[in-house]
Order: sequence, then structure tokens, then C-alpha cells
Amino acid sequence: MWLYLVPTLAINLMVILVPALLTVALAFFRWDGISTPVFIGLGNFSALLNDGVFWTALQNNLIWTAIFLVVPIAMGLLAAAMLLVARRGSTFFQVIYFLPVIIATAITARVWQGMIYSPVTGVFGLLQKTGLPLTNPLSQPSRALFGVATVDLWHWWGFLCVIFFAALRQVPQEQIEAARLEGAKFFQMMRYVLLPAIRPTITLMMIMTVIWSFLVFDFVYILTQGGPAFSSEVLSTLAYRKAFYDLNVGQAAAAALVISLFGLVATFFYIRLQSKEGAP
Amino acid sequence: MSSLKHLAAAAGLAAVALAAATASAQDKKPITWWYETAAPENQENLQTILVDPFNAAHPDQSLSIDFRGAELDKQLRIAMLSGSGPDVVYTAGPSYVAAMAQAGQLLPLDDYAAKLGWNDRLLPIFLEIGKYDGKLYALPKTYETLGLFYNKTLFDKNGWQPPKTIAEFETLADAMLAKGIVPFAAGNADWRPANEHYVSIVLNSIAGPDNVYKALTGQIPWTAEPFVKAIDTLNKWWQAGYFGPNYFSLSGEQAFAQVATGQAGMAPTGTWNFTNVPRYFPANNAEPAFVGFPSAEGVPYPIYALGVGSTFSIAATSQNPDGAAAVIDMVFSDKFYGDMNSAWQGEWNTPLKDLSKVTMADSVLPLYTQTMKGLAASVSAGQYGYTTWTFLPPATDTYVVSGIEEVWLGKITTAQFLETLDATFKQDREQGKAPAIPKR
Repeated sequence: MWLYLVPTLAINLMVILVPALLTVALAFFRWDGISTPVFIGLGNFSALLNDGVFWTALQNNLIWTAIFLVVPIAMGLLAAAMLLVARRGSTFFQVIYFLPVIIATAITARVWQGMIYSPVTGVFGLLQKTGLPLTNPLSQPSRALFGVATVDLWHWWGFLCVIFFAALRQVPQEQIEAARLEGAKFFQMMRYVLLPAIRPTITLMMIMTVIWSFLVFDFVYILTQGGPAFSSEVLSTLAYRKAFYDLNVGQAAAAALVISLFGLVATFFYIRLQSKEGAP
Repeated sequence: MSSLKHLAAAAGLAAVALAAATASAQDKKPITWWYETAAPENQENLQTILVDPFNAAHPDQSLSIDFRGAELDKQLRIAMLSGSGPDVVYTAGPSYVAAMAQAGQLLPLDDYAAKLGWNDRLLPIFLEIGKYDGKLYALPKTYETLGLFYNKTLFDKNGWQPPKTIAEFETLADAMLAKGIVPFAAGNADWRPANEHYVSIVLNSIAGPDNVYKALTGQIPWTAEPFVKAIDTLNKWWQAGYFGPNYFSLSGEQAFAQVATGQAGMAPTGTWNFTNVPRYFPANNAEPAFVGFPSAEGVPYPIYALGVGSTFSIAATSQNPDGAAAVIDMVFSDKFYGDMNSAWQGEWNTPLKDLSKVTMADSVLPLYTQTMKGLAASVSAGQYGYTTWTFLPPATDTYVVSGIEEVWLGKITTAQFLETLDATFKQDREQGKAPAIPKR
């Protein structure tokens, strides 16, 4: 019976556990990725804590998490509820909403960078010519993070919509009919019937959003590489820069551990939720 | 029956031919080389100008180039750690060579340099850059410099002369601003390290190469007065709007194209942009020109800051080091220089001492040939400076890229920028990460 667990266990050990333990160990060493590592205790952590960019990156991750806990979840819920109410054409809209999710992130990022935000080749440039005072958000320190988040939101919210729609379809039809017969309006239906019924799905998506928000890398790296002047730096781009540009793998591993810490907290809540749901 | 016999005989012959071909393929010693991103036409150039002639001239060798894309550097470092890298090691620059040589991943090239005549053929400074602990480990694939591209047609129309001093340069830039022309064609949307091109320019042309040399060798700190003046001047140019409103939105190529169209007046950038000249200038009926960047008072004119983008080494674990050395030797030949630079300008300016024997195609812009010959002569005469990406250690270099943006955007002062730069440099140097600095 235990033999059935061996393949997945072996994969997890080799692909996840060994590199994870190596990363934990490297956080306590000074290593350039090439020569022999030198043990320096908590040196990497203290260097990170004294680095202003680390705090900017952490703050940006928290802002990112807050944005993604509210905007795409609200958009996804609203659109999913609409799809449920107006069943006609729901498959078509599901496909349209889901389409950005299946486009490679690098393509999505380049399309937004070159065809939307660019003042030379993008829609923003065209609108500028008509006199609208639009500037590329990626070039403004105060707006760069939000400019990147907008692209990720466009790419991401459709996924949540489809997940919420699938959950909403599991809500017993009798409850919805009964609410309708009682004269419930759309928002009353949402507030008293639909949202409570799919609460576990929403909670799970929120926990996953926290984990994913601390792992965000691709859109930031492609669109701004953390700039201008670190204004859109997040922990993962900081770790990447430390490892591959500064040749400071130890500090990169320390930054990765901080990312994992937030992931672990979220995972703890996820497991608690799972066990609660599983309890008789 | 007869046709069956013929068929059997044909099959037998085919089998013999196949076996012979297989045996011949097995006799050839493979030479592997991982290359970075290259456009399809340039991959073709490498195949026809290097791989095919090399394999034809060396029947016992089989050179193959594997195009690994923009992440070559990371792939290479991981492969070298595990001893499974290519024979010809193509690093991202001299600052990576020191760490690899220290870790015993590279083969010393001194014997090959003596045997194959590299010591006589290459500019000595570039042999010095590739040394670690007194031994030669790397040779630069290409060297580049920074200067000032401008639109000669636009200059003639406005009666402008290319500036030689910083004062003339600023007067000219202000005149361009007054006419609604962006003084600098500049953008970093696709390559954020473009920031350091401007830092390198002001360090060498305002603080001066002697001071940069002293700082690189630890004789003076980066917080010294000449560097304060240099960074303050660069910041003044940013605040005055010389970089235009779209620096963070334009790619390097989009920005360069604006010099050709006349939207921008000058491009303080590197010689690698010669590759973009034929693409944009003829289409806009504009004549291109290139001069050294103006110098501040007390600094000779022109100062060509030297840059080495990538280097060649041989892996210590290579099964075919002689083959790899033969490939590198071919790259440093007059014929290869002429053929490759005729087809692909700006990327293969190998550091040959004497370019007089090099023949270039008639289609090559005379401006490019003159610039490269002038550059080789300046370097030979010791009139050169130092680019940050070649002579600063890795963490210091990445700080320059990000830190200067903080100065421009008012997040930190020049003094704070230079203090962090100095501290990072000292730390890198203590850890043995600083590349070799040739004596002046």
C-alpha cells in the first residue's frame, strides 16, 4: 500500500525538498554561485534588514497582495454572478474572460508594454497625440507598481471568474429559486445566498492569492525589472538581482526565505481551513 | 532474381557508405560553443563565416554553436559548476572571469597565446584584462567604446558643430531644447543597464580616466570630488530634460532611431549602435556621424572608455581544448575580422592590434571602419578610459544601474549615491570579485 506513495514522494524529495533545504542552508553562507561558500551566520539577514530596497520590496509585495485580494476577486465574483443570472451566452463570456489566462505572460507583458503603454507605438501614444495628458505608468515611480499590477489583473481576473462561476453553479438551484420567489434583488441574492454558499472557494482563492502575491516575478521583471529607482521592486526581483547580477546567492536565498515565510503563514491557514472542512 | 541481387548489392553499398560516414563523424572531435541571443540573419552569419570554414579547414574537428538566448550567462554558470559546460566558454564579461578562474573552471591560456601568436596579434591591454593571478584566462570577443552619434544633416541645417568641451556640449543641448529637439536619444525600456552608459561617460569625460583608474585600484574613494562633479553634472542634464520625456519608455533602438528622424539631436551611446545606422539613417535621408564625447576642462579630448561585453575562455573540463583554441584563434584572424564586420557591424570588433591588413566589404559604412581604426590607434597610444560594466565588480555595477535612477528621480543625493557605490565597491574588492585593472 505504501508503495503507491513512493513515486510522488521521490519526486517531492528530489525536486522540492533537496533544493529547499539547500536554499535554507545557503542563506547562512556567502556564495557567488561559482566558488566555495563561506559560512557567515546571520550576516545575509542583517545585510538585508539594513538594505532600504528590501523594505521597499516588502512594502510593494504587501501593496500587491492588498490589490489582488480586492480587485480581481471582486471583479471575478461580480462577473461570475452575472454569468449565473444571465445564462445566455455564458459559455462565450467564460471563454473571453479566460483567454488572457492562457496567453504566455511574456507575450501579455510585451503587448501591454509595446502596444498599450508605449508613447511611441502604443495606444497611450495615440491618445497623447489627441491631447490627452497620458503618460506611461511604467515610467513613473509613483505609478509603476500599479501599471504592472494592471497588466497582471487583466491577465488574472478571468481565472477567478471561471473558478467562482463553477462554484456558483454548485449552489442548489432550490435556494436560488426560493430567494427569487421571496423577491430577493441581485445584491440581496449575492449577500444572503450565493456568497455564503461559495465561501470556502473564496477563502481558498484569497489564501492562494496571498501566496501567489509574494511569488510575483514575471510581469514585474519583464515590464520594469523593479524600476524606475526600485519603485516596483518586489522580493522575488530583489532575490533574482542579488543572485544573478550581484552574484550574491546567500542574500538571494535569505530573501527567498522571507518570501517563503509569508507563504508558510498562508499555507498554515489553508491547512487549518482544509482540516476544518474535512472534520465531521 | 537479378533485380533482387541488385537490390541487395545497393543495400550493401548503402550500408557501407553509412558505416563510413558514421565512422568519419565519430572520428571528428566535437567542439561545443554556447552563444547568446542572435537574430536569424546573424546566426546565419556565424554559420557561414565561422562554423563552415572552420570545419572545412579542420577535417578532424566538428564545431557547433548552440544559441542559448538571453539567459546564457545563468545557464553557463550552472553548467560550469557541474562540469558540463561547453568547450568554448563565452562569459558575460571580465568580471565573471575572475570568479570562474578562482573556482578552477577555466584553463590557463598562456601556452596557447604564445604558441598561436595571440600575444603579438592582440592589443596588450586586453590580454591584461583577461588575467587572473598572473595567468591569462580570457580574451575579449569584442571591445566597444562610448561616444557621440549625431545627425550631420540636422547639424548642417542648423549650423551646429560637434562639441569638444562640456561647455560647448551644454550650449548645444540647450539650443536643441529651444527648438523642441530632444538633446539625447536615450531609452532604457528594454535594457535597464543603459543607465550606466551615461555614468561611464561622465566618469571618464568629466572626472577623467586617471581618477577612475585611481578609484578602481583603491587609491582614492568613489566619494572624491571629481566623481561628485561628474554625477552632479549628469543629474543636471537629467533635470534639464536632455534625456527627453520618454527615457523609461523607449527601447535603445527606438531611441537611436530618433537621431535619424531628427526628433533627437545626439545619441551619447556605444559603438554597438553602428548596427542600427544602416537601418535608420538612409531611410530618413540623414547622414550619420560619430565623434568622441566632449571632455571637461583638464581632461584630454577625446577619451574612449573601453568596454568588453563578453569574453572567450576554454573550460578546464574540455575534452578538446586544442580544438577550442583553434576556434578562438580563427576568431582573432584578419580574415574573420573583415568578413564578420562586413556582415555584422558593432558586435565583432575583436581586439586586433593592427587593422591595416583587414579588408572590409565596400558596402560597409566608411564611418564605421574609420572609427574602429581610430579607436584601435587611441588604445595603442594609451588614450582610453574605463566603462563601468567592464571594470567594476558585479554588485557595484548593478548598484550603478539602479542607484543613478534614484539620483535622477530625487530619491537620493549624489553624495549618498557615491557613498553606497564606494561601500559596495570596497566589499566586492575585499571578496576578490574585482576584475584585473591594467596599468596606465
